[in-house]
Amino acid sequence: MSFLPAFSSLTRAHVLMFLRSRAALIWTLAFPQFFLFMFEFAFSGGTPRGATYLMPGLFTITLISGSFFGVALRMVTERETGVLRRHRVTPVPAVAVILSHGATALVVLACSVTLQAVVARLVFRIGVAGSATTLVIVLLLGGLALVPIGMIAGSIARDTRAAPAITNFLFFPMMFLSGAAIPFPFLPAWMQRLARLVPTTYLVESLQGVMVRGQGLGRLRGPLLVLALMAAIGIGLNGLLFRWESTEPVRRGRVTLALSALLLVCWGAYFLAPPLEMSQRPFP
Amino acid sequence: MTIRIDGLEKRYGSVVALRGIDLEIPGGGIVGLLGPNGAGKTTLVEIMEGLREPTRGSVSVLGLDPTTQARRLKERIGVQLQSTSIPLDLTPAEVLGLYASFYPRSRPIDEGLEQVGLEAKRKALVRNLSGGQRQRLALGMALIHEPELLILDEPTTGLDPVARRGIHEVIRDYRASGHSVILTTHYIEEAELLCDRVIVIRAGEVVADGTPFQLIAKAEGVSTLWIAFSGPFDPAPLVKAGATPHGVEGNHHRFVTRDPAAAVVALGDILRGQEVSLVDLRMKRPTLEDVYLELVGGDADGEPGEEE
Repeated sequence: MSFLPAFSSLTRAHVLMFLRSRAALIWTLAFPQFFLFMFEFAFSGGTPRGATYLMPGLFTITLISGSFFGVALRMVTERETGVLRRHRVTPVPAVAVILSHGATALVVLACSVTLQAVVARLVFRIGVAGSATTLVIVLLLGGLALVPIGMIAGSIARDTRAAPAITNFLFFPMMFLSGAAIPFPFLPAWMQRLARLVPTTYLVESLQGVMVRGQGLGRLRGPLLVLALMAAIGIGLNGLLFRWESTEPVRRGRVTLALSALLLVCWGAYFLAPPLEMSQRPFP
Repeated sequence: MTIRIDGLEKRYGSVVALRGIDLEIPGGGIVGLLGPNGAGKTTLVEIMEGLREPTRGSVSVLGLDPTTQARRLKERIGVQLQSTSIPLDLTPAEVLGLYASFYPRSRPIDEGLEQVGLEAKRKALVRNLSGGQRQRLALGMALIHEPELLILDEPTTGLDPVARRGIHEVIRDYRASGHSVILTTHYIEEAELLCDRVIVIRAGEVVADGTPFQLIAKAEGVSTLWIAFSGPFDPAPLVKAGATPHGVEGNHHRFVTRDPAAAVVALGDILRGQEVSLVDLRMKRPTLEDVYLELVGGDADGEPGEEE
């Protein structure tokens, strides 16, 4: 079994390539800071309490953009340029290639979230009502739930031009419906209901739980379970949809299966997840 | 037997890329697959590598079936694909390290770099390497796990003669250790210089197979002789031996013949029987290129193909 050495050296190679492509690096790290300063200056009211209230949404935006844009494009590029085809004539297992892309995305996310958190702490004096460990676990689960969706986009995109189209299409509802960009209580009731179908809503809810309401993992098990299910199903679907070569057809049946599985989780969450507490709390 | 192929056919929809290939390639030596673009060379090697599945027929590489025993086969073969793309933002040492990690056993990275003459470039990014250096790196990637069989698809296409010679040296060194190489090329001189056996493919069929010398010898090629004598002479013995006078260039009389050995014997008769001595003799034998052009004929530009 040559999984582990291949997985770790692929991940290392991807991270090195990411660090060496300056434009991608700067964009990935700077994008969350733009959002941070824009939102905090506009809406925090200048208090640490107000600043903290905005952080769940800001972290969520960072996680969505980091999960979708980089990894999808990296996968399509490797496929289009024939790097994956070259991998294919070696014994490297597909699962090592797939998971290394996921791991790379998580490393990149960890960097940009950490930077955003440090800047927010230093400049806007944010705090965490609950435990820091819980916060890290929630953020990690969020990354694990979202990165596989970006990878699915990378696998089904026809070429490098299609990938951003797909990820943008997913990005906007996940950002605006989830309460990440617009505080949840401001959304009309029908939009709040619709939001229960969007996975990032549960991420914002969990982050609010730990950062604003000081809740622990036990209290948050409902939304966290949704995220964990998304993660498990998303990772599994990547095994089905991965393509070594751009000439390989995107298998319609498998895409349908993938979409149905993801929608099923969303529907399940819609009916089964506990009521969203963030809809109750007024803006401080 | 390194490779055994029986009745191999490959279709892409209604296009027939390979129509009934039978081949046996024993271990050792360099085998060249020569043919115009679209002849099916790439399809053939990609079936051997397990990248494509045959439509009909059986293929065995190192005793393994490339379709059903791909994983075990891939551990033992080294492959360079046509227009291999290498991650641009890595260094040669990192690229070799990455590929080494895919195999259960591999040689040290420093040795791998040295094998393809890239020690000095170990810390340069691939994007800053020349075309020849990238091709050498691609060869290094194929050799890092010390494979028993090397399959190269147009390893020197687009390179200048110096870079091409560098690639040839690496391939010869590898052959010298007793391993087998299969390469495709559309450079005839490459096949002639490098290969122990040349298989000519046209429109999905093997049209000739042998050592470069055998192919040249078998061919209906025409030899040209330029002969300069010290004085006037009677060409009758040469004509009787099948040579046709083909004009005069300065002091040289030109003859063309399909049987140069008989012409040389007739030349001896002239020197013995007539009052002249030989000032100069030059002969151009048919080359593999003549043979090749004879075999692939008007098809030399190929059909728009599956070669991609």
